[in-house]
Amino acid sequence: MPGGIAFEFPQLYFTGLWVTIQISILGLLSALFIGTVVAVMRVSPFAPLRWIGAAYVEFYRNTPLVVQLFFLFLGLPLIGFRFSTDTFEHIFRAASIGMGVYHGAYVAEVVRGGLLGVDRGQIEAARSLGLSYLQMLRYVQLPQTFRSVIPPLGNIGIALVKNTSLASTIGVTELLFAAEIVESRTFRAEEAFLAATLLYLSLTIPLGIAVNTLERRMLVAR
Amino acid sequence: MRPDTWPMFLEPAIWGFFFEGLRETIYIALVSVALSFVVGLLFALGRLSRRRWVRWPSIFYIEAVRALPVLLLIVYFGIKGSALFRPIFGADFELPRFWAGVLGLSMYTSAVLAEIIRAGIVSLPRGQTEAARALGLSHAQTMGSVILPQALRLMVPAMMNQLTTVIKDTSLVGTIGIFELLRQGRTIYTQFFNPVEVLLIVLTIYFLLCFALSRASSRLELGYTPREAKKKIRDIELRDQAA
Repeated sequence: MPGGIAFEFPQLYFTGLWVTIQISILGLLSALFIGTVVAVMRVSPFAPLRWIGAAYVEFYRNTPLVVQLFFLFLGLPLIGFRFSTDTFEHIFRAASIGMGVYHGAYVAEVVRGGLLGVDRGQIEAARSLGLSYLQMLRYVQLPQTFRSVIPPLGNIGIALVKNTSLASTIGVTELLFAAEIVESRTFRAEEAFLAATLLYLSLTIPLGIAVNTLERRMLVAR
Repeated sequence: MRPDTWPMFLEPAIWGFFFEGLRETIYIALVSVALSFVVGLLFALGRLSRRRWVRWPSIFYIEAVRALPVLLLIVYFGIKGSALFRPIFGADFELPRFWAGVLGLSMYTSAVLAEIIRAGIVSLPRGQTEAARALGLSHAQTMGSVILPQALRLMVPAMMNQLTTVIKDTSLVGTIGIFELLRQGRTIYTQFFNPVEVLLIVLTIYFLLCFALSRASSRLELGYTPREAKKKIRDIELRDQAA
Protein backbone atom coordinates (compact mmCIF):
# COMPACT_ATOMS: atom_id res chain seq x y z
CA MET A 1 0.00 0.00 0.00
CA PRO A 2 1.49 3.38 -0.96
CA GLY A 3 2.40 5.41 2.08
CA GLY A 4 2.01 2.36 4.35
CA ILE A 5 5.28 3.31 6.02
CA ALA A 6 3.30 6.00 7.88
CA PHE A 7 1.72 3.21 9.94
CA GLU A 8 5.12 1.69 10.72
CA PHE A 9 6.17 5.03 12.26
CA PRO A 10 2.84 6.47 13.39
CA GLN A 11 4.48 8.36 16.24
CA LEU A 12 6.63 10.37 13.80
CA TYR A 13 4.19 10.85 10.92
CA PHE A 14 0.99 11.60 12.77
CA THR A 15 2.63 13.77 15.42
CA GLY A 16 4.34 15.56 12.52
CA LEU A 17 1.02 15.98 10.74
CA TRP A 18 -0.51 17.37 13.92
CA VAL A 19 2.34 19.88 14.33
CA THR A 20 1.88 20.91 10.67
CA ILE A 21 -1.83 21.46 11.30
CA GLN A 22 -1.13 23.44 14.48
CA ILE A 23 1.39 25.73 12.78
CA SER A 24 -1.00 26.18 9.84
CA ILE A 25 -3.89 27.22 12.07
CA LEU A 26 -1.84 29.51 14.31
CA GLY A 27 -0.10 30.99 11.27
CA LEU A 28 -3.34 31.54 9.39
CA LEU A 29 -5.07 33.22 12.33
CA SER A 30 -2.15 35.58 12.94
CA ALA A 31 -1.80 36.23 9.19
CA LEU A 32 -5.48 37.21 9.01
CA PHE A 33 -5.13 39.52 11.99
CA ILE A 34 -1.87 41.15 10.83
CA GLY A 35 -3.09 41.34 7.24
CA THR A 36 -6.33 43.09 8.16
CA VAL A 37 -4.55 45.62 10.37
CA VAL A 38 -1.94 46.36 7.69
CA ALA A 39 -4.62 46.64 4.99
CA VAL A 40 -6.57 49.16 7.07
CA MET A 41 -3.34 51.10 7.60
CA ARG A 42 -2.73 51.11 3.86
CA VAL A 43 -6.08 52.72 3.06
CA SER A 44 -6.15 55.04 6.08
CA PRO A 45 -6.38 58.81 5.54
CA PHE A 46 -3.20 59.32 7.62
CA ALA A 47 -0.15 59.25 5.31
CA PRO A 48 2.57 57.92 7.73
CA LEU A 49 0.35 54.89 8.50
CA ARG A 50 0.02 54.23 4.77
CA TRP A 51 3.83 54.37 4.38
CA ILE A 52 4.40 51.94 7.25
CA GLY A 53 1.83 49.57 5.76
CA ALA A 54 3.40 49.74 2.31
CA ALA A 55 6.90 49.21 3.73
CA TYR A 56 5.69 46.16 5.67
CA VAL A 57 4.13 44.57 2.60
CA GLU A 58 7.10 45.27 0.32
CA PHE A 59 9.65 44.04 2.83
CA TYR A 60 7.94 40.76 3.66
CA ARG A 61 6.90 39.95 0.11
CA ASN A 62 10.39 40.48 -1.26
CA THR A 63 12.46 38.47 1.21
CA PRO A 64 12.54 34.66 1.56
CA LEU A 65 10.54 33.13 4.38
CA VAL A 66 13.43 30.87 5.47
CA VAL A 67 15.69 33.83 6.12
CA GLN A 68 12.94 35.45 8.18
CA LEU A 69 12.49 32.22 10.14
CA PHE A 70 16.22 32.00 10.80
CA PHE A 71 16.16 35.56 12.04
CA LEU A 72 13.26 34.90 14.41
CA PHE A 73 14.78 31.72 15.76
CA LEU A 74 18.49 32.66 15.92
CA GLY A 75 18.68 36.43 15.72
CA LEU A 76 16.02 37.51 18.20
CA PRO A 77 17.42 35.56 21.20
CA LEU A 78 20.75 37.30 20.67
CA ILE A 79 19.18 40.73 20.91
CA GLY A 80 17.47 39.66 24.09
CA PHE A 81 14.11 38.29 22.99
CA ARG A 82 12.94 34.68 23.20
CA PHE A 83 9.45 33.40 22.50
CA SER A 84 9.82 30.92 25.35
CA THR A 85 12.52 29.70 27.74
CA ASP A 86 11.95 26.17 26.46
CA THR A 87 13.88 25.63 23.22
CA PHE A 88 11.30 23.42 21.50
CA GLU A 89 8.53 25.82 22.41
CA HIS A 90 10.71 28.70 21.18
CA ILE A 91 11.23 27.26 17.69
CA PHE A 92 7.59 26.21 17.44
CA ARG A 93 6.40 29.71 18.26
CA ALA A 94 9.04 31.30 16.03
CA ALA A 95 7.76 29.15 13.15
CA SER A 96 4.09 29.96 13.79
CA ILE A 97 4.73 33.67 14.14
CA GLY A 98 7.04 33.66 11.13
CA MET A 99 4.26 32.08 9.05
CA GLY A 100 1.78 34.70 10.28
CA VAL A 101 4.06 37.65 9.66
CA TYR A 102 5.07 36.52 6.15
CA HIS A 103 1.63 35.52 4.89
CA GLY A 104 0.15 38.57 6.63
CA ALA A 105 1.76 40.69 3.91
CA TYR A 106 -0.07 38.70 1.21
CA VAL A 107 -3.33 38.85 3.20
CA ALA A 108 -2.88 42.62 3.48
CA GLU A 109 -2.67 42.99 -0.31
CA VAL A 110 -5.83 40.93 -0.81
CA VAL A 111 -7.82 42.73 1.92
CA ARG A 112 -6.63 46.09 0.63
CA GLY A 113 -7.97 45.19 -2.81
CA GLY A 114 -11.27 44.29 -1.18
CA LEU A 115 -11.42 47.54 0.82
CA LEU A 116 -10.72 49.61 -2.29
CA GLY A 117 -13.42 47.67 -4.13
CA VAL A 118 -16.14 48.97 -1.81
CA ASP A 119 -18.19 51.64 -3.54
CA ARG A 120 -17.05 55.15 -2.62
CA GLY A 121 -20.68 56.23 -2.09
CA GLN A 122 -21.04 53.74 0.78
CA ILE A 123 -18.14 55.33 2.63
CA GLU A 124 -19.34 58.88 1.99
CA ALA A 125 -22.89 57.99 3.05
CA ALA A 126 -21.66 56.41 6.29
CA ARG A 127 -19.47 59.40 7.08
CA SER A 128 -22.20 61.93 6.37
CA LEU A 129 -24.56 59.97 8.62
CA GLY A 130 -22.17 60.88 11.41
CA LEU A 131 -20.22 57.61 11.84
CA SER A 132 -16.61 58.13 12.85
CA TYR A 133 -13.90 56.74 10.56
CA LEU A 134 -13.45 53.67 12.77
CA GLN A 135 -17.19 53.05 13.02
CA MET A 136 -17.46 53.34 9.24
CA LEU A 137 -14.66 50.73 8.88
CA ARG A 138 -16.23 48.39 11.40
CA TYR A 139 -19.85 48.55 10.23
CA VAL A 140 -19.65 49.48 6.55
CA GLN A 141 -16.33 48.95 4.77
CA LEU A 142 -14.88 45.79 6.36
CA PRO A 143 -18.08 43.67 6.30
CA GLN A 144 -18.49 44.35 2.59
CA THR A 145 -14.98 43.21 1.75
CA PHE A 146 -15.25 39.77 3.37
CA ARG A 147 -17.26 38.29 0.54
CA SER A 148 -14.83 39.19 -2.20
CA VAL A 149 -11.70 38.22 -0.29
CA ILE A 150 -12.64 34.72 0.87
CA PRO A 151 -11.50 32.81 -2.26
CA PRO A 152 -8.08 34.52 -2.48
CA LEU A 153 -7.62 34.08 1.28
CA GLY A 154 -8.28 30.37 0.78
CA ASN A 155 -5.46 30.31 -1.75
CA ILE A 156 -3.15 31.94 0.77
CA GLY A 157 -4.22 29.27 3.25
CA ILE A 158 -3.09 26.55 0.82
CA ALA A 159 0.25 28.29 0.33
CA LEU A 160 0.62 28.54 4.10
CA VAL A 161 0.03 24.82 4.65
CA LYS A 162 2.70 24.02 2.06
CA ASN A 163 5.09 26.56 3.53
CA THR A 164 4.89 25.08 7.03
CA SER A 165 7.41 22.57 5.63
CA LEU A 166 10.03 25.32 5.94
CA ALA A 167 9.72 25.06 9.72
CA SER A 168 11.75 21.86 9.36
CA THR A 169 14.79 23.99 8.47
CA ILE A 170 14.78 25.53 11.94
CA GLY A 171 14.20 22.20 13.63
CA VAL A 172 10.46 21.87 14.15
CA THR A 173 9.50 18.19 13.82
CA GLU A 174 6.63 18.68 11.44
CA LEU A 175 5.63 16.39 8.61
CA LEU A 176 8.61 16.89 6.30
CA PHE A 177 11.10 16.58 9.17
CA ALA A 178 9.35 13.37 10.26
CA ALA A 179 9.79 11.99 6.73
CA GLU A 180 13.48 12.95 6.76
CA ILE A 181 13.96 11.15 10.10
CA VAL A 182 12.24 8.02 8.78
CA GLU A 183 14.34 8.16 5.62
CA SER A 184 17.58 8.38 7.60
CA ARG A 185 16.51 5.41 9.75
CA THR A 186 15.26 3.12 6.99
CA PHE A 187 16.92 4.40 3.76
CA ARG A 188 13.53 3.90 2.10
CA ALA A 189 13.42 7.41 0.61
CA GLU A 190 10.61 6.76 -1.89
CA GLU A 191 8.24 5.36 0.70
CA ALA A 192 9.16 7.88 3.38
CA PHE A 193 8.57 10.89 1.13
CA LEU A 194 5.56 9.36 -0.58
CA ALA A 195 3.87 9.00 2.81
CA ALA A 196 4.60 12.67 3.59
CA THR A 197 3.39 13.62 0.10
CA LEU A 198 0.09 11.82 0.61
CA LEU A 199 -0.39 13.42 4.02
CA TYR A 200 0.31 16.88 2.54
CA LEU A 201 -2.14 16.16 -0.27
CA SER A 202 -4.72 15.12 2.33
CA LEU A 203 -4.50 18.68 3.65
CA THR A 204 -4.08 20.73 0.46
CA ILE A 205 -6.51 18.94 -1.88
CA PRO A 206 -9.60 19.29 0.38
CA LEU A 207 -8.63 22.92 0.95
CA GLY A 208 -8.34 23.48 -2.80
CA ILE A 209 -11.75 21.90 -3.40
CA ALA A 210 -13.26 24.02 -0.62
CA VAL A 211 -11.80 27.19 -2.16
CA ASN A 212 -13.16 26.33 -5.61
CA THR A 213 -16.62 25.50 -4.25
CA LEU A 214 -16.80 28.72 -2.23
CA GLU A 215 -15.70 30.71 -5.24
CA ARG A 216 -18.34 29.18 -7.48
CA ARG A 217 -21.07 29.61 -4.90
CA MET A 218 -20.24 33.29 -4.50
CA LEU A 219 -20.34 33.84 -8.23
CA VAL A 220 -23.86 32.41 -8.34
CA ALA A 221 -25.05 34.42 -5.36
CA ARG A 222 -24.03 37.76 -6.84
CA MET B 1 25.06 41.45 25.23
CA ARG B 2 27.86 40.40 22.94
CA PRO B 3 29.98 43.10 21.37
CA ASP B 4 28.69 43.72 17.89
CA THR B 5 30.73 42.61 14.94
CA TRP B 6 29.81 45.25 12.40
CA PRO B 7 33.45 46.36 11.89
CA MET B 8 34.36 43.00 10.36
CA PHE B 9 32.09 43.80 7.41
CA LEU B 10 34.54 46.45 6.30
CA GLU B 11 36.69 43.55 5.14
CA PRO B 12 36.29 43.05 1.35
CA ALA B 13 36.88 39.29 1.70
CA ILE B 14 33.56 38.90 3.57
CA TRP B 15 31.72 40.63 0.73
CA GLY B 16 33.45 38.38 -1.75
CA PHE B 17 32.00 35.49 0.21
CA PHE B 18 28.49 36.95 0.05
CA PHE B 19 28.97 37.68 -3.63
CA GLU B 20 29.84 34.04 -4.39
CA GLY B 21 26.58 33.04 -2.74
CA LEU B 22 24.62 35.66 -4.64
CA ARG B 23 26.11 34.49 -7.92
CA GLU B 24 25.10 30.90 -7.16
CA THR B 25 21.60 32.07 -6.19
CA ILE B 26 21.10 33.99 -9.43
CA TYR B 27 22.65 31.25 -11.51
CA ILE B 28 20.46 28.48 -10.08
CA ALA B 29 17.34 30.68 -10.34
CA LEU B 30 17.97 31.47 -14.01
CA VAL B 31 18.71 27.86 -14.96
CA SER B 32 15.61 26.66 -13.07
CA VAL B 33 13.31 29.23 -14.66
CA ALA B 34 14.63 28.49 -18.15
CA LEU B 35 14.14 24.76 -17.68
CA SER B 36 10.71 25.24 -16.06
CA PHE B 37 9.59 27.43 -18.91
CA VAL B 38 10.23 24.71 -21.48
CA VAL B 39 8.68 21.95 -19.35
CA GLY B 40 5.81 24.20 -18.26
CA LEU B 41 4.99 25.11 -21.86
CA LEU B 42 4.82 21.42 -22.78
CA PHE B 43 2.50 20.65 -19.88
CA ALA B 44 0.31 23.69 -20.59
CA LEU B 45 -0.12 22.49 -24.19
CA GLY B 46 -0.63 18.96 -22.92
CA ARG B 47 -3.41 20.08 -20.61
CA LEU B 48 -5.15 21.87 -23.50
CA SER B 49 -4.75 18.90 -25.83
CA ARG B 50 -7.83 17.15 -27.16
CA ARG B 51 -6.24 13.74 -26.75
CA ARG B 52 -7.20 12.23 -23.42
CA TRP B 53 -4.00 10.23 -22.98
CA VAL B 54 -2.05 13.50 -23.20
CA ARG B 55 -4.46 15.67 -21.23
CA TRP B 56 -5.03 13.48 -18.19
CA PRO B 57 -1.36 12.84 -17.31
CA SER B 58 -0.70 16.58 -17.74
CA ILE B 59 -3.54 17.49 -15.39
CA PHE B 60 -2.32 14.91 -12.89
CA TYR B 61 1.28 16.18 -12.99
CA ILE B 62 0.31 19.84 -12.68
CA GLU B 63 -2.20 19.41 -9.88
CA ALA B 64 -0.16 16.92 -7.86
CA VAL B 65 3.06 18.94 -8.00
CA ARG B 66 1.34 22.25 -7.25
CA ALA B 67 -0.20 20.75 -4.13
CA LEU B 68 3.23 19.84 -2.68
CA PRO B 69 5.73 21.92 -0.72
CA VAL B 70 8.71 22.80 -2.91
CA LEU B 71 11.07 21.96 -0.04
CA LEU B 72 9.83 18.36 -0.09
CA LEU B 73 10.79 18.05 -3.76
CA ILE B 74 14.18 19.65 -3.14
CA VAL B 75 14.98 17.37 -0.20
CA TYR B 76 13.82 14.32 -2.16
CA PHE B 77 16.08 15.08 -5.13
CA GLY B 78 18.89 15.98 -2.75
CA ILE B 79 18.72 12.50 -1.21
CA LYS B 80 17.69 10.32 -4.15
CA GLY B 81 18.77 12.39 -7.16
CA SER B 82 21.87 10.32 -7.85
CA ALA B 83 20.07 6.98 -7.53
CA LEU B 84 17.38 8.11 -9.98
CA PHE B 85 19.91 8.67 -12.77
CA ARG B 86 22.10 5.62 -12.11
CA PRO B 87 20.14 3.34 -14.47
CA ILE B 88 20.95 5.82 -17.28
CA PHE B 89 24.46 7.05 -16.51
CA GLY B 90 25.99 3.99 -14.86
CA ALA B 91 26.37 2.68 -11.33
CA ASP B 92 28.75 5.27 -9.91
CA PHE B 93 27.04 8.37 -11.21
CA GLU B 94 26.81 11.21 -8.68
CA LEU B 95 24.27 13.91 -9.43
CA PRO B 96 25.93 17.27 -8.68
CA ARG B 97 24.16 19.12 -5.83
CA PHE B 98 23.51 22.02 -8.16
CA TRP B 99 21.44 19.89 -10.52
CA ALA B 100 19.57 18.23 -7.67
CA GLY B 101 18.50 21.72 -6.58
CA VAL B 102 17.60 22.70 -10.13
CA LEU B 103 15.49 19.54 -10.49
CA GLY B 104 13.52 20.21 -7.30
CA LEU B 105 12.96 23.87 -8.08
CA SER B 106 12.11 23.26 -11.74
CA MET B 107 9.69 20.46 -11.07
CA TYR B 108 7.63 22.77 -8.89
CA THR B 109 8.03 25.92 -10.98
CA SER B 110 7.20 24.09 -14.23
CA ALA B 111 3.79 23.12 -12.82
CA VAL B 112 3.12 26.72 -11.78
CA LEU B 113 4.31 28.15 -15.10
CA ALA B 114 2.16 25.61 -16.95
CA GLU B 115 -0.89 27.01 -15.17
CA ILE B 116 0.17 30.61 -15.88
CA ILE B 117 0.76 29.89 -19.57
CA ARG B 118 -2.55 28.05 -19.80
CA ALA B 119 -4.34 31.03 -18.24
CA GLY B 120 -2.74 33.22 -20.93
CA ILE B 121 -3.75 30.92 -23.78
CA VAL B 122 -7.33 30.52 -22.52
CA SER B 123 -7.72 34.28 -22.09
CA LEU B 124 -7.31 34.96 -25.84
CA PRO B 125 -10.57 35.47 -27.73
CA ARG B 126 -11.88 32.31 -29.43
CA GLY B 127 -12.02 34.22 -32.70
CA GLN B 128 -8.23 34.04 -32.94
CA THR B 129 -8.24 30.25 -33.09
CA GLU B 130 -11.29 30.14 -35.35
CA ALA B 131 -9.84 32.65 -37.80
CA ALA B 132 -6.52 30.82 -37.95
CA ARG B 133 -8.23 27.48 -38.49
CA ALA B 134 -10.54 28.97 -41.13
CA LEU B 135 -7.48 30.24 -42.99
CA GLY B 136 -6.36 26.63 -43.24
CA LEU B 137 -3.66 26.52 -40.57
CA SER B 138 -3.26 23.21 -38.79
CA HIS B 139 -3.72 22.93 -35.03
CA ALA B 140 0.04 23.04 -34.47
CA GLN B 141 0.47 26.03 -36.80
CA THR B 142 -2.37 27.87 -35.06
CA MET B 143 -0.69 27.35 -31.69
CA GLY B 144 2.81 28.13 -32.89
CA SER B 145 2.24 31.23 -34.98
CA VAL B 146 -1.02 32.73 -33.70
CA ILE B 147 -1.90 31.79 -30.14
CA LEU B 148 1.43 31.34 -28.35
CA PRO B 149 3.13 34.54 -29.54
CA GLN B 150 0.17 36.56 -28.21
CA ALA B 151 -0.34 34.56 -25.01
CA LEU B 152 3.33 34.56 -24.03
CA ARG B 153 3.60 38.32 -24.52
CA LEU B 154 0.73 38.82 -22.11
CA MET B 155 2.37 36.52 -19.61
CA VAL B 156 5.71 38.34 -19.40
CA PRO B 157 4.93 40.14 -16.10
CA ALA B 158 3.65 36.92 -14.52
CA MET B 159 6.80 35.10 -15.57
CA MET B 160 8.98 37.86 -14.15
CA ASN B 161 7.11 37.46 -10.87
CA GLN B 162 7.85 33.77 -11.05
CA LEU B 163 11.55 34.57 -11.38
CA THR B 164 11.29 36.63 -8.18
CA THR B 165 9.58 33.71 -6.45
CA VAL B 166 12.26 31.30 -7.64
CA ILE B 167 15.00 33.62 -6.35
CA LYS B 168 13.32 33.51 -2.96
CA ASP B 169 12.95 29.73 -3.24
CA THR B 170 16.66 29.25 -3.92
CA SER B 171 17.17 30.02 -0.23
CA LEU B 172 15.86 26.47 0.32
CA VAL B 173 18.49 24.64 -1.70
CA GLY B 174 21.04 25.47 0.98
CA THR B 175 19.48 22.58 2.91
CA ILE B 176 20.87 20.09 0.38
CA GLY B 177 24.32 21.64 0.39
CA ILE B 178 24.36 24.22 -2.38
CA PHE B 179 26.31 27.27 -1.34
CA GLU B 180 23.79 29.96 -2.21
CA LEU B 181 23.41 33.28 -0.45
CA LEU B 182 21.73 32.10 2.75
CA ARG B 183 24.05 29.12 3.08
CA GLN B 184 27.11 31.38 2.67
CA GLY B 185 25.67 33.64 5.37
CA ARG B 186 25.19 30.64 7.65
CA THR B 187 28.81 29.66 7.15
CA ILE B 188 29.88 33.15 8.17
CA TYR B 189 27.77 33.35 11.31
CA THR B 190 28.67 29.87 12.54
CA GLN B 191 32.28 31.04 12.28
CA PHE B 192 31.89 34.46 13.94
CA PHE B 193 28.70 33.81 15.92
CA ASN B 194 26.94 36.93 14.65
CA PRO B 195 23.64 35.78 13.08
CA VAL B 196 21.90 39.11 13.65
CA GLU B 197 24.31 41.11 11.50
CA VAL B 198 24.70 38.42 8.83
CA LEU B 199 20.98 37.70 8.49
CA LEU B 200 20.20 41.41 8.24
CA ILE B 201 22.70 41.72 5.40
CA VAL B 202 21.31 38.61 3.67
CA LEU B 203 17.74 39.95 4.03
CA THR B 204 18.81 43.28 2.54
CA ILE B 205 20.49 41.66 -0.45
CA TYR B 206 17.44 39.48 -1.19
CA PHE B 207 15.17 42.46 -0.73
CA LEU B 208 17.07 44.72 -3.13
CA LEU B 209 17.16 42.00 -5.78
CA CYS B 210 13.51 40.95 -5.50
CA PHE B 211 12.16 44.47 -5.07
CA ALA B 212 13.93 45.66 -8.22
CA LEU B 213 12.59 42.67 -10.16
CA SER B 214 9.00 43.08 -8.98
CA ARG B 215 9.12 46.79 -9.83
CA ALA B 216 10.42 45.94 -13.30
CA SER B 217 7.75 43.31 -13.87
CA SER B 218 4.91 45.74 -13.15
CA ARG B 219 6.21 47.97 -15.97
CA LEU B 220 6.39 45.18 -18.48
CA GLU B 221 2.75 44.88 -19.41
CA LEU B 222 2.90 44.32 -23.16
CA GLY B 223 -0.64 44.81 -24.29
CA TYR B 224 -4.05 44.35 -22.77
CA THR B 225 -4.59 41.44 -20.38
CA PRO B 226 -8.26 40.55 -19.83
CA ARG B 227 -9.51 40.89 -16.26
CA GLU B 228 -10.39 37.21 -16.00
CA ALA B 229 -6.83 36.21 -16.85
CA LYS B 230 -5.42 38.69 -14.33
CA LYS B 231 -7.61 37.25 -11.60
CA LYS B 232 -6.65 33.70 -12.52
CA ILE B 233 -2.95 34.58 -12.43
CA ARG B 234 -3.30 36.39 -9.13
CA ASP B 235 -4.93 33.28 -7.65
CA ILE B 236 -2.16 31.04 -9.00
CA GLU B 237 0.45 33.38 -7.58
CA LEU B 238 -1.20 33.54 -4.17
CA ARG B 239 -1.54 29.79 -3.98
CA ASP B 240 1.87 28.88 -5.30
CA GLN B 241 4.17 31.58 -4.05
CA ALA B 242 6.43 29.49 -1.94
CA ALA B 243 9.09 30.72 0.39
